[in-house]
Amino acid sequence: MTRRTSIAIALALVFSALMPLSAHDDYRVIGVVTKVQTSKLDVKSKDGKNHSIKLNKDTFVNRDKKKMGVSGLKAGQSVVVDATGDSESDLLALEVRIVPPVK
Amino acid sequence: MTPQLPTPEPPSKRKLAVTTAVALAVAGVLLVTIVLPAEYGLDPLHTGAALGLTAMSTPAAAKAVEAPAGATMFKPVQDGPIGYYSAGYKVDSTVLKLGPYEYLEYKYRLEKDASMMFSWTASAAVSHDFHGDPGSGKGAEQSYDKKDRQASSGTLIAPFAGMHGWFWENPSGETITITLNSAGFYSSAMESRSDRTRRAHELTAPMAPPAASGTK
Repeated sequence: MTRRTSIAIALALVFSALMPLSAHDDYRVIGVVTKVQTSKLDVKSKDGKNHSIKLNKDTFVNRDKKKMGVSGLKAGQSVVVDATGDSESDLLALEVRIVPPVK
Repeated sequence: MTPQLPTPEPPSKRKLAVTTAVALAVAGVLLVTIVLPAEYGLDPLHTGAALGLTAMSTPAAAKAVEAPAGATMFKPVQDGPIGYYSAGYKVDSTVLKLGPYEYLEYKYRLEKDASMMFSWTASAAVSHDFHGDPGSGKGAEQSYDKKDRQASSGTLIAPFAGMHGWFWENPSGETITITLNSAGFYSSAMESRSDRTRRAHELTAPMAPPAASGTK
């Protein structure tokens, strides 16, 4: 293997490692909680889609900006979820707001 | 003893009358041939045109104001308090529906120092951030006005080239309607919504003024 080829492969590996860091997009899911687990929240949005969204220790669950914790989430609550991910099927919740129901 | 100077004889009444008549005639000729054409544009004998005097009575022809070098349709060249562009401004008028808890961004592309004026009203208070984005990545945005509002009117001179406009968020469970009117030297308008849809808006030239009466 020539030196030039080695450098090209090394650069390709570096770029491929960095790619996922910059690929995340922002998503907002507005809907009703259907199921809550410690690390996952299921929400049915107003267009009828079911979203399964990951939760972690940094997810800020709140009502009127008061911290609630995941234990404050219950099925049937209206929520606004701001999440990040590569697609609608791979989302991590950054913030979950419990809000009054949509009229 | 001082010598007595001879006293000249006064002109006769006839001579006075003839001299006065000649002076009046010369004054009349000068009035009609020079003064009236030069001062008032009246030229009954066409002497003003022949002598080039009629041009003096007409205001200087308005010269078309050309944009200074460097000005484009969207980028001004400043000359004192005036920013000159090489073409006219655009206008935009749009009504935006914002569903419960949704947000949207509505932005115009403006070059540095380009200006626009705007007025918007909402049917209820919205979370709002009027800001600019140079397009160089996250964190590069600059907020101009960030607070809950139901209406706002103003002008903006873009501090940098990029997208400039509003983030509006509906904090309520009811649909809100936002009406936006603007005019400016912008090149495009883009609407981006929380459901990840994006839509370009068509910008138009302002309505032509009605033809002045008497013109064909």
